Amino acid sequence: MAVITLPYKYLERLTKTDRKTILEKVPLIGSDVERMEEDHADVEFFPDRPDLFSPEGVARAMRGFLGIETGLPVYPVKPSGITFTIDPMLAAIRPVLGAAVIRGVTFDDESIQSIMSLQESLHWAVGRGRSKVAIGIHDLDTVEPPFHYIASPRSRRFVPLDCTEEMTMDEILLKHAKGQEYANLVKDFDRFPLIVDSGDHVLSFPPIINSERTKVTMKTKNIILDTTGTERKAVLAAVNIICTAMAEGGARIESVTINGVQTPTLAPAERTVSVKECNKLLGIHLSAAEMAAHLERMRFGARAEGPDAVNVLVPCYRADIMHDWDTFEDVAIAYGYERISDLPPETFTVGKPHPVQELGRVAREIFCGLGFLEVMPFTLTSEATLFGKMRRSENTGVLHVMHPITVDNTVVRTELVPLLMEFLSMNRHRELPQRLFTIGDVVECCATYQKAGGISMHPGADFSEAYAFMDAMLRELSIDYCVRESSDEAFIEGRRGDVFTGGKKVGVFGEIHPAVLNAFELEHPVAAFELDLRAVPGYPAL
Amino acid sequence: MAELTQNEKRLLTVLAREGCTDALNLAQHLDATADAVVQWAYLAMENRLAKVDRIVEKDFVYTEEGRTYAEHGLPETQLMALIGTGTTLANLQKHEAFRIGFGQLRKKGLVTVTDGNVSTVAGRSTSEDEIALKNPHKGGERVKDLIKRGLVLETETVRYQITISPAGMLAVQQGLDLREEQGTLTREQILSGNYKDLNLRKYDIGKLPKKAYPGKTHPYQRIIDEMREILLNMGFTELYGGIVQQSFWNFDALFQPQDHPAREMQDTFYLNETLPLPDGYKRVKAMHQSGGETSSTGWGGVWKEERAEQCVLRTHTTSVSIQHLANNPNPPLKAFCIGRVYRRETIDTTHLAEFEQLEGIVMDKDVNFGNLLGILRVFYHRMGFEGVRFKPSYYPYTEPSLDAEVFVEGIGWIEMGGAGIFREEVTAPLGIQCPVLAWGLGVSRIAMLRLGLKDLRQLHHSDVAFLRESPALRQSKGGL
Repeated sequence: MAVITLPYKYLERLTKTDRKTILEKVPLIGSDVERMEEDHADVEFFPDRPDLFSPEGVARAMRGFLGIETGLPVYPVKPSGITFTIDPMLAAIRPVLGAAVIRGVTFDDESIQSIMSLQESLHWAVGRGRSKVAIGIHDLDTVEPPFHYIASPRSRRFVPLDCTEEMTMDEILLKHAKGQEYANLVKDFDRFPLIVDSGDHVLSFPPIINSERTKVTMKTKNIILDTTGTERKAVLAAVNIICTAMAEGGARIESVTINGVQTPTLAPAERTVSVKECNKLLGIHLSAAEMAAHLERMRFGARAEGPDAVNVLVPCYRADIMHDWDTFEDVAIAYGYERISDLPPETFTVGKPHPVQELGRVAREIFCGLGFLEVMPFTLTSEATLFGKMRRSENTGVLHVMHPITVDNTVVRTELVPLLMEFLSMNRHRELPQRLFTIGDVVECCATYQKAGGISMHPGADFSEAYAFMDAMLRELSIDYCVRESSDEAFIEGRRGDVFTGGKKVGVFGEIHPAVLNAFELEHPVAAFELDLRAVPGYPAL
Repeated sequence: MAELTQNEKRLLTVLAREGCTDALNLAQHLDATADAVVQWAYLAMENRLAKVDRIVEKDFVYTEEGRTYAEHGLPETQLMALIGTGTTLANLQKHEAFRIGFGQLRKKGLVTVTDGNVSTVAGRSTSEDEIALKNPHKGGERVKDLIKRGLVLETETVRYQITISPAGMLAVQQGLDLREEQGTLTREQILSGNYKDLNLRKYDIGKLPKKAYPGKTHPYQRIIDEMREILLNMGFTELYGGIVQQSFWNFDALFQPQDHPAREMQDTFYLNETLPLPDGYKRVKAMHQSGGETSSTGWGGVWKEERAEQCVLRTHTTSVSIQHLANNPNPPLKAFCIGRVYRRETIDTTHLAEFEQLEGIVMDKDVNFGNLLGILRVFYHRMGFEGVRFKPSYYPYTEPSLDAEVFVEGIGWIEMGGAGIFREEVTAPLGIQCPVLAWGLGVSRIAMLRLGLKDLRQLHHSDVAFLRESPALRQSKGGL
């Protein structure tokens, strides 16, 4: 989520209305007002709308939504005559370049801050942490076109931003804060991306750092924007969003020629959408003209073309419009969610519980009848709890998560009794007897199924108790079973049993081994039993 | 007045005869210890039937040493007799009382020593000390000295004087049932009819019983069951699916781009397992790359099979519902799923790495966004939330999208879940022709509010006392 700072005065000037109206209505276009300070508000916008990541972009949208200025914003683009060449060797490194000239900027603290934070938000939302898109903004009057985007030897030296000494690009990756942060995006390449001017002065080392030479200051009047990346669509979206935001702030945009192609054009995309389809999807009844008017409030260019069609011009900064339905959502927002009649669908259907969950409900009823209290442990646990403390060897079907956060969350549980033991351990100071049960998912070899486990701790807990509870559970669940001597080391020898049905082992019960009690720091005997619920007749195959 | 115990009654009966007496005497009459009698008497006093006076009596007794001196005189007295008109120190030292007695004589200034000769001081004697030793109960400074010297001990004797009150007397005159009390009713007594003559002990209902704890389901499970029941009543079919899912069903089939941040290792638990892609996965691939045959442009870029094959711990139950849709593409379909989902989060009071999610889907000809709002409103109303409102939101696989907010007394509007219509990019590759309404919510959020929990972990690492004290039926107010 991107939280955007909106200074009231700047926002009011751009939106041409008061802050109260803006902040009251801004959630209705899709945002959360995080906090309101004396001179600014912090507002969170969704990642699909990077065009709203600046006060200029928010003002543009709100002018439309509030009816102050509707329809497609038009941004004139003059050719600058400036050219860029791209080194073919970059094809395998960082192939895409976008650029633009922005003239007549007047920077103050707020507008510099706004453009820098827009750049950062775009790096995050569109650029995927600079890997897909990285943006550089430079003072055009410090360099001399034409410009060249080249694959440079790593030993090339220049003074990086906020430094006074020359460094090689390799040194920048090692020593500069930004170099360290983003080194993994380039470190495996033999050559590094670099943008230089006609005099071989460095503009930037994308996606890592700009040069100190081209730094933007309060005195900067003209900007050269470079945007590099791996995907054309994303790179162009970033260029369009920055250029149009700057144009909203009063600057003039000029195009450049990259390998013979003029860019950017800031021209809208066009699509024709169906009024009927929109009404049907939203459950409202708009005419083509009404639909067009709603789209215009959302800053589309929209014109009714007969009763069922609206021609839509999508502003170049709306990277999120991929499908006709994306324009329908904007119609719904302009129309107002609160005005849409909310009637549940009329089709008759009969509810049906899932047999696994029904089985869980019945098993819970049995446990409660036996006086057990339900607990709901985590499904992520550790090998130590699951196997080590239980004196069991590791279940070969246990799943290890690849990047665990803590040592307590390394595997998905394959049994429940160890987690119940952990519960007893956490509740040592509570009154006895403690009889706890849990029913839930376990995973073995990627397959999820349900088990039921019960545990009883008190000075008289023994094998007979475990057997009696296990037997009660099996009888109540209509499971035909037989019992054989178990060799499960978690239990005391001669006080443990395996449950079989249809030749398959489905459960175990007995009196927990004192060494296991020691491992869980328990001081009283524990009777435990666990049942694989797939033993229940009719358990569905997943 | 509370019911009298059998012992109180016996006590009063004897007291009525004796009037006023002490506990020792009563103990003889009642064949009990004095302590027990005092306890019964205090019970009777609480009922204003008797009065108990605690009388403390002081006394002095000799220690063994003190007793010897009382008989033979204090050591200093014995020495004084030996000195007479004068003797040598050497002579005196032979006497067995010298060690203690001579020190006392010097301390009290009764003798003088000159050149090895000891003589008494005129007009002074030990007679007052001897009087004090003979009559220690008279007290005084000299007795205090004797106590300090360890010859006399001061003792306290406590006596209880018990007197019946007029009310007690009246109770006895009105007659007390003195039959022996029985604690339990036996089978023999029930069958023989002897119970008619029994005096079964009566219990004090003012006294709280020992707490009994019923076996019961987890309060969180009860909230889940309540939601299940509401959705079953609303005609939804329940789904259940695996925790381990292929990235394809968890992300790709839901049109989540392969470079989406939620798919990174920081946010999702990946497993070192792969599963083969399902038939027809290429339609999903085409949708990502170019929008397939819809009006969509797709995400562009490259879509890699290897990324889709990787298994994850499901990050949402949508991975289960989307497979159900793929297997049942014909309308109508109404289904829901409540299950555990996983996010690679550091665990703290408000974040867990695993939590329950509720997810509902409706597929039918001509269902629309308004219907979705209608379903949500009914569901939240049934959950007890009167105020429900909707606002625009964003989810990668729905369009349009919304967030539902409910009004909670004392808190205000709180976000309770997200919803939307599955994008055509999601449904078209699976051969689904109708719109699919979908919504989800975090079950633990409601649980936390309802159970008043400050720490989400309490749901899973529960204190047994919390579970025992959590009532099965809660007073519900405005959804909480």
